[in-house]
Amino acid sequence: MPEFLDLIFTDVSAQFLSPGKRLFVGYLACALFIGVLFVCVAKRQSVTGALAMVFSPAIWLSRSSLFDLACFLINRLLFAVLRPLLITQIAVATFIYQALHMQALLPIGALQHVDYWLAATSFTLFYFLLDDFSRFGVHYLMHRIPALWEFHKFHHSAETLTPLTVTRAHPVEGVIFILRTASIQGITIALFVCLFGDKVDLLTIYGVSIFIFIFHGLGSNLRHSHIALRYPAALERIFISPAQHQLHHSRNPRHFDRNFGVVLAIWDRLLGSFHPSTHEEISFGLGPADAGYTKSVWSMYWLPFVALFRRLTGNRSRAPKNFERLR
Amino acid sequence: MISNKNITACLMLGLLASPALADNHATNNAAASYGPFPVTLKSYSGEQTDSVSYSGQIGRQLLHTSLKKAIATNAGIDTLRRYFNGDDGTLPILDPVSSAKFRVDHNDVNAISRTNLSDKAYRGSIAGWPGNLSGRQMLEQMLTRAAAVPNGYDAKHGYDYVQLVSKFTMGGVFYHQACDNYLDEKLEAGNKPNNKPYRDGAYYTGKEHSWDEAFGYWGAAAHGASLTAQQNYAIAKKKDMVSADANADGMVNLKSEMNYAHAYYAASFDRGGNTNYYSIITRAFIDGRQIIADANGEALSDTQRNALMGKARVICANWERVIAEAVFKYAGSVYADLAKLKSGGDENTYRAYVKHWGELKGFALSLHTSSQNLGELGRRIDGLIKFGPVVGGVVSADITQNSRRVSGVDAAGTFTFQDASVDEYMLYMLRLQQVMEDEFGVVAKDNDRLADIANLAEKLGSAEGVEND
Repeated sequence: MPEFLDLIFTDVSAQFLSPGKRLFVGYLACALFIGVLFVCVAKRQSVTGALAMVFSPAIWLSRSSLFDLACFLINRLLFAVLRPLLITQIAVATFIYQALHMQALLPIGALQHVDYWLAATSFTLFYFLLDDFSRFGVHYLMHRIPALWEFHKFHHSAETLTPLTVTRAHPVEGVIFILRTASIQGITIALFVCLFGDKVDLLTIYGVSIFIFIFHGLGSNLRHSHIALRYPAALERIFISPAQHQLHHSRNPRHFDRNFGVVLAIWDRLLGSFHPSTHEEISFGLGPADAGYTKSVWSMYWLPFVALFRRLTGNRSRAPKNFERLR
Repeated sequence: MISNKNITACLMLGLLASPALADNHATNNAAASYGPFPVTLKSYSGEQTDSVSYSGQIGRQLLHTSLKKAIATNAGIDTLRRYFNGDDGTLPILDPVSSAKFRVDHNDVNAISRTNLSDKAYRGSIAGWPGNLSGRQMLEQMLTRAAAVPNGYDAKHGYDYVQLVSKFTMGGVFYHQACDNYLDEKLEAGNKPNNKPYRDGAYYTGKEHSWDEAFGYWGAAAHGASLTAQQNYAIAKKKDMVSADANADGMVNLKSEMNYAHAYYAASFDRGGNTNYYSIITRAFIDGRQIIADANGEALSDTQRNALMGKARVICANWERVIAEAVFKYAGSVYADLAKLKSGGDENTYRAYVKHWGELKGFALSLHTSSQNLGELGRRIDGLIKFGPVVGGVVSADITQNSRRVSGVDAAGTFTFQDASVDEYMLYMLRLQQVMEDEFGVVAKDNDRLADIANLAEKLGSAEGVEND
């Protein structure tokens, strides 16, 4: 048991100490700096005033934020057990790589003579685009498929947003996200090793993909915050701003099913779900109709299964009161 | 085959026997090198003081190295047979020979031991080579074919007999004799007992000499366990006279100061830092010999014999894994060679490819020759490697044109061909590496063709796997 606890402690620590993690202290510091600067300039606040706003106890000590913390810890425990049971990107890549030997369209090693930089840049860019698109796609499906929405409500039930909200995911969602990651990484790795051989590499900064490092370094953690950092309109048509993601969390029906993207806004524009940021005051959460969902941490984990069961059995009349929400 | 669980258990035992616990050995008065060990035979009254003796095995090691050299230097079939079957006259040691930087103490195999390889070659059937021959017949046939082509290189069929003969001799004679005979049958209670001489007139007991003979086949220098992997590797490569010359007499004693055969391969894998095969196996030999010496010429008790058999299991499990590491390594080499040849490799690339395939095949066939029946696994391995590498049907080195491979041998003894696919064979090499990893638990994994995948996966990580945007 002490070994398991040690494992959990190491895992939790890594969330804040590894540059590969969203909650890395360096990225949090960047987000804090950008957030404070934005409040000072845009809201004409003093630094003290800006810090008071950023660290408002009404947000950080809210019931929703405390639920975030509880879910974060519970999920770390759950996934310490679940993760080893799930397929890895290496298994996917190995399977696909071997399968690629049985086709002629993409000959093995066809591009192995190209320059290292071309191979590494191609790989890094391709993975970034495919990864971002697949995140968009899965997110889109989580909203559009009723059964998946039952589980995605877990994330949208947050009524205050802090960087920790990014980890507020139902375990079923978590499994889906891990499988997505394994699939996308496996496909990309297999394809590029097939074509470029040992020339393939990932362009990194501090061991992290250069694109992801830039994304996080430029304040990705503000997406889950109350700092409505907006980009110029033209830029928001390319990159999703924190304010646009906050709009995605809005409980206003006019904002439902908008801005599914993570880094790039082009996917939303292609599928008609793009929405620029607004100056409107936005409140977050599922709304009064779903009040029962966040009755307790337990209900957040359990009720999606109840709702799913009732959907599958067609007995929706017995769904928990006020649990349904039209999207 | 020995299962992964057994291998793990044996490795654990092996680690306990490793130099990392040198203090323990010191307190138990365990030897630091393989010999000398006292004469314990009660009935012996002569002047011998050291009961260690494995000259016959060193003689065979030198027959092997010389035979390999003879094939590579275009020797005729009579010469090759002299090294395979032995010869009563002078039998020059062709490798290693003395040089200014590496002086050896013998130049005649028969001055060390008048012996042969053929009598000790594996008698079982070899399904992975055309003709369904026994191990001995296969080697005899290979020598005949080797003598018929320049320097043992048959470009048409993709056979490098230097490598095929060498690697299978190491397995089909040395590994086979050690792990299917001396460390297996001869450890049984009633076989070569420790309270009787190995043979009439001998100054060593049955168990002492059985164990010594297995050590001789392993091929490690007696003091090798006290050296680094790099030093042991350099000794085998004849590049480190200082490390080899344990008694500082200015000569490398070919009986006790040289590394041969699988011991050399173990050291080469250990240089990577992920394995410790050489030390684990050699220390298990030393510790086992100490158990026998401690019996002081009495028949081994059940406890002593069980301890000895435990050492034998450590030795053979790790020895098997050394061979599997070699299969893994050369499967990776063959894969890389095929990739080069596909994109327009030249004759030199093809020559290297054939050499690597010969090494792969020789090591893979060796896995069949221990006391463990590989069964279905053996058929899988043979099925992946096939009877021959993919060669070109027009020009051998142009493997993409009319690709084919040896499929068997006809009644006249001529190899037959069948169509083959380069890409499919590359896939088989990947699968072979996977089999070596899954079934034999290889760790060193030289030339890992899936390493690029693992490296990239590690770089990408799964950092945001459960993050929700």
